[in-house]
Amino acid sequence: MSNESKNGTSVKRYLAVLRGSIMEALSFRASTMLRILGNLVYLLIIYFLWKAIFDSSPTDTVNGMTFYDTMIYLVLAAAMFNFMDTFVVWHVGDDYQTGQIVLYLTKPIGYQPFLFFSRVGNCLISFFVTFLPTFIIVYFVTEGSIAFGINLLFFVISILLAMGVNFCIDFFVGTICFYTQSIWGVNIMKEVVVSLLSGATIPLAFFPETFRKIVDFLPFQAIYHMPLHILTDKTMQLSDYVTSLGIQLFWMVVMLGISKLFWKISVRQLTVNGG
Amino acid sequence: MKPMIKMVDINKEFKILKRREGIKGSIQDLFSRDYQTLKAVNDVTAEIMPGEMVGYLGPNGAGKSTTIKMMTGVLEPTSGEILVNGRIPYENRTRNAQDIGVVFGQRSQLWWALPVIESFRILKEIYRISDKDFKDNLEYYDALVGASELYQKPVRQMSLGQRTLCDILAAFLHNPGVVFMDEPTIGLDVSMKSKIRELVGTLNKERGTTIILTTHDMGDVDALCKRIIIIDKGKMIYDNDIEHLRSFFGAYRTIRIQFDRHAENLEKDVLKQQVLEVEAWVKGKFPQAKSISVSVEENWIQILINEEEVHMMEVVNCIQDNRPIADMNLQEISTESVIRKIYEGGVV
Amino acid sequence: MKKDKRGLGYYAHIYKMILFQDLKSKMSYRADFIISTIGMLFTNVAGFISFWILFQNFPEIKGWNYYEILLLYGFSLLAMTPVQCFFDNNWNLMEALYTGNFIKYCFRPINLFFYFISEVFDIKGVGQFIFGIITVIYSWNKLGILLTFRNIAGFFIGVVSASLFMIAIMNFAAAASFWMSGGTSQLMILMFKFKDYARYPIKIFNKVFQIIFTFIIPIGFMAYYPSLYVIRPKEVSILGYLTPVYGIIFVYLSYRVWMKGARQYSGTGS
Repeated sequence: MSNESKNGTSVKRYLAVLRGSIMEALSFRASTMLRILGNLVYLLIIYFLWKAIFDSSPTDTVNGMTFYDTMIYLVLAAAMFNFMDTFVVWHVGDDYQTGQIVLYLTKPIGYQPFLFFSRVGNCLISFFVTFLPTFIIVYFVTEGSIAFGINLLFFVISILLAMGVNFCIDFFVGTICFYTQSIWGVNIMKEVVVSLLSGATIPLAFFPETFRKIVDFLPFQAIYHMPLHILTDKTMQLSDYVTSLGIQLFWMVVMLGISKLFWKISVRQLTVNGG
Repeated sequence: MKPMIKMVDINKEFKILKRREGIKGSIQDLFSRDYQTLKAVNDVTAEIMPGEMVGYLGPNGAGKSTTIKMMTGVLEPTSGEILVNGRIPYENRTRNAQDIGVVFGQRSQLWWALPVIESFRILKEIYRISDKDFKDNLEYYDALVGASELYQKPVRQMSLGQRTLCDILAAFLHNPGVVFMDEPTIGLDVSMKSKIRELVGTLNKERGTTIILTTHDMGDVDALCKRIIIIDKGKMIYDNDIEHLRSFFGAYRTIRIQFDRHAENLEKDVLKQQVLEVEAWVKGKFPQAKSISVSVEENWIQILINEEEVHMMEVVNCIQDNRPIADMNLQEISTESVIRKIYEGGVV
Repeated sequence: MKKDKRGLGYYAHIYKMILFQDLKSKMSYRADFIISTIGMLFTNVAGFISFWILFQNFPEIKGWNYYEILLLYGFSLLAMTPVQCFFDNNWNLMEALYTGNFIKYCFRPINLFFYFISEVFDIKGVGQFIFGIITVIYSWNKLGILLTFRNIAGFFIGVVSASLFMIAIMNFAAAASFWMSGGTSQLMILMFKFKDYARYPIKIFNKVFQIIFTFIIPIGFMAYYPSLYVIRPKEVSILGYLTPVYGIIFVYLSYRVWMKGARQYSGTGS
């Protein structure tokens, strides 16, 4: 596994995997169409639900967020969810249960990077098919509620970091499946925890004070809350951006370390006990 | 006696989606699609009598499984007449299913998590097998293969061989008139293969059950079937006794040679190289012998010849002149080679 | 030929047998069972927390107060139970088709849909059911709804009708895999999510979408309309009273489509 860095062809190999996964994603046309339709329906419901909520509220601004802010935040969170959710937990768990994992271990390409690149093709497709159009529509519909400037650059960097954190968490959770016999249960727990504590279902700004403090100490906010906060909060200074990205980077490094370590331990057990 | 299965001029057509290649093609597929009609089964006619065991052969995609699906009532033929047990199978699939059994070599039809005996009990209810028949069959199975040892084991914990065995027993549980088997010995080791073959043969003889056996393993055919039906590209190209087929190739002989005393130690590539050399020598020397083919099987180099074209000794001498032969033997043509010849050239 | 009719009793008997055996074997995979149940519990608790957080900020939504919406939520959890428990194998349909394993279901002398669906009983639904019951009792109490026969019967019939819609919609979504290669997992997920959206009062949508979610995508029937029997009896429309009838028709249609798809699929490929 260690000799992959020695020959320069490893990049090429990853690119081949990437290309394959893009083509696979494209070949399911119905899937693509349905994804878009699914997003539209979801957006509608989000829109009406929050419109109803804000209509019922005595003030226009709640917890510093207007209806537009909330919409941008939630709509883009949904769109992000679409390209970040790559079923990594399922893949790892399934590869373990079917014994495929042993085959991957014999390949001259690390399992974690292999998985990353083979899923990232899907990510790219969804990014262009769903996220970008959604972003553009939201940008115009909300009539300039999104500031057009340097924050977009920070936003893109932040999304990349979010992807990294998300993948590492998924990979970590996937490895848990080595011990539990249960993929479904583990995965649903992860999804519930991530979507609630990352602010994907309700913006963190609406969280009660104490609850919010706990969430601040967890890595999940690095996935949805931070990129979206960068995008929507116009009061942020350069130092705020840097701090925000710094926290994300911190969590990415931590989660990468933890997931790699946990993977190593688990694989060692696997090879010792002979899965 | 009425035939168990009767097919007259059966045809089946499918519409197939054409997919384009590459990234560009995938994008095009998003917007428009092309269909083309495929004739999967073309004017197939056959009669199979009760108690017969028929080998149903053909290369992949020849139309075998389509025919089987029509016989089991899953699929309706585009045209033609089909009768199984005197009934039109697709008119009432469930009624037809009551009287047939199906075995897939690799897909267990038993409940994955349940002990076999529980699967059998559920099948008893599904097929409404009487208590007596059920008990008799279990006793019979026990006497036949000592099946009761397996009964408490869940299918998911079984070896492939045990699973196949149980699937076969399950297929005969409701005393069907005909059982369809799709590659029952695929993936099994040699001893398990022969055990399964023996079981199938016994069930066929003692129960008088008609068996349609689809397989790529000519060992199955040799061990079990008197009659074979061969289908290729949807057309039936052979339907007769296996012996009759062999007599077509009466003048064919297989010469098996080795150049090294310890050929079992040879690398695959070396053997392949030797095959190419031998092929070049004999084909160069006897250009009139069109049927000669050289292949390799278990460390032996096999030369199939037609004695009407060239004499066996001439071939042997020719090879000997080029390189000393260490070991040699002679065989009639194998079923394997016969079938291959038919697929290749459509001899019949 | 006389004994040929396989009636309801026959199927009930077989289902009972399979279910009983299945439960027995599930007990031997306790870890999976426990973790899945906890996972299910997580989903419900998270749903509850979301409600709670929202209502910390907003006291009511379009005239619906916290407890009313909570009762609607509990109602939808109960209505989800049958589809979760008994029809979960629909999620495996796509893979069965993809690997070709589906063909093995075609050779038994019993109804194909029944045979396929009976294979999986998802016990996780039970946890959801219990959580739903608790939520309903709690909010029912807080709202001070009387425990009359009319209310209880209305609630029960409402839950059953709503669950029929949920079953139907998942059948439709799964059946789509008979015609499409890939993509149905997306469709199933979409439909699955509908159930989550169904738990809001349909009044929050504007007129156009109220009509769409009533007549085209029947999200409204998956919880809201049938729940009105007890939550707001005065607002029940004629349409609401007909929910059980629609539910039955819908399930029947979904079954027909599923079977048609199965028939067509087993015809193609190998």
